[in-house]
Amino acid sequence: MPSIPTQRYNPLHFLAAFASGGLLTLAVFVNGEAGRFGGAMFSSWLAHGVGTIVAIPLLALVWRDQRRAAAQASETVGKAPLWGYLGGIIGAATVMLTSTSVNSPLALAGTLALGLAGQVILSLAADFWGLLGLPRRRLDWRDAGAVALIAAGSLLIILFGLGAA
Amino acid sequence: MILPILAAFIAGTLIILSRQVNGRLAMSTTPLISSFWNHIVGFVFLTLIGLVIGGLIPANLAEMPWWIYSGGAIGVVFVTAGSWLITRIGAVNSTIMVIAGQMVFGVIFDLLRGQPITLWACVLGVVLILAGMALTQRRP
Repeated sequence: MPSIPTQRYNPLHFLAAFASGGLLTLAVFVNGEAGRFGGAMFSSWLAHGVGTIVAIPLLALVWRDQRRAAAQASETVGKAPLWGYLGGIIGAATVMLTSTSVNSPLALAGTLALGLAGQVILSLAADFWGLLGLPRRRLDWRDAGAVALIAAGSLLIILFGLGAA
Repeated sequence: MILPILAAFIAGTLIILSRQVNGRLAMSTTPLISSFWNHIVGFVFLTLIGLVIGGLIPANLAEMPWWIYSGGAIGVVFVTAGSWLITRIGAVNSTIMVIAGQMVFGVIFDLLRGQPITLWACVLGVVLILAGMALTQRRP
């Protein structure tokens, strides 16, 4: 099992992940509005459909590079397992679960807070054991501190900051 | 009450699971190819469920603003970035940095939209998040 060396992180990768969180804010807002029109299932269906349609010309544009990179990757890493293609089903199932809990007394804030807990716990497990063929990472006190601070700040915003008062 | 609690928690774990699965596919292909498969498989799956349950497409489809269609386009970029990043910074770092970005930009977004927010909680929350981000950059 390959593992990522702890010291050699590129700060730009962290910044990119942070920025992608901003994209998520926009997507959640837009998909939420679509959900107000046609329900959560419709919203997710629309987002997956549009995503497919957008991905095709993007892929076509860089297809020669992509095909070469993919061939090279499967040569060094090996072919992808069949379950690697099921990420979309997991994503679709996520929408069904969150739409259940959003419409319960948990509402949006409770759903986000519990979802955050689920995300943190499974990602700790994923790094610790290298789940599903991804690299293992040794976790240290910095990881624990960063997780605690970011989780605490996020819960504060979710539970007390947004909406109310 | 236990059922919605479980649903919300499991939904969180599934977000990580799908990022992990998409990341694995990206390792053997490319992040963009992986994102394509994620979307088309999800689309086919939801279409099948919609055919069984019915009522998937709302009658007021024409009244929706044009930008409602942009969510899927943003999603393609987000999923591609996620697969690319998880093999480079790992699951925990991906998770906390994406959540950090989602929260900080969420507060800014709501401020710009003139949504009601509780200032002290948002400011303190953002400060804690920035402190956590700074901690990830400290040498061991």
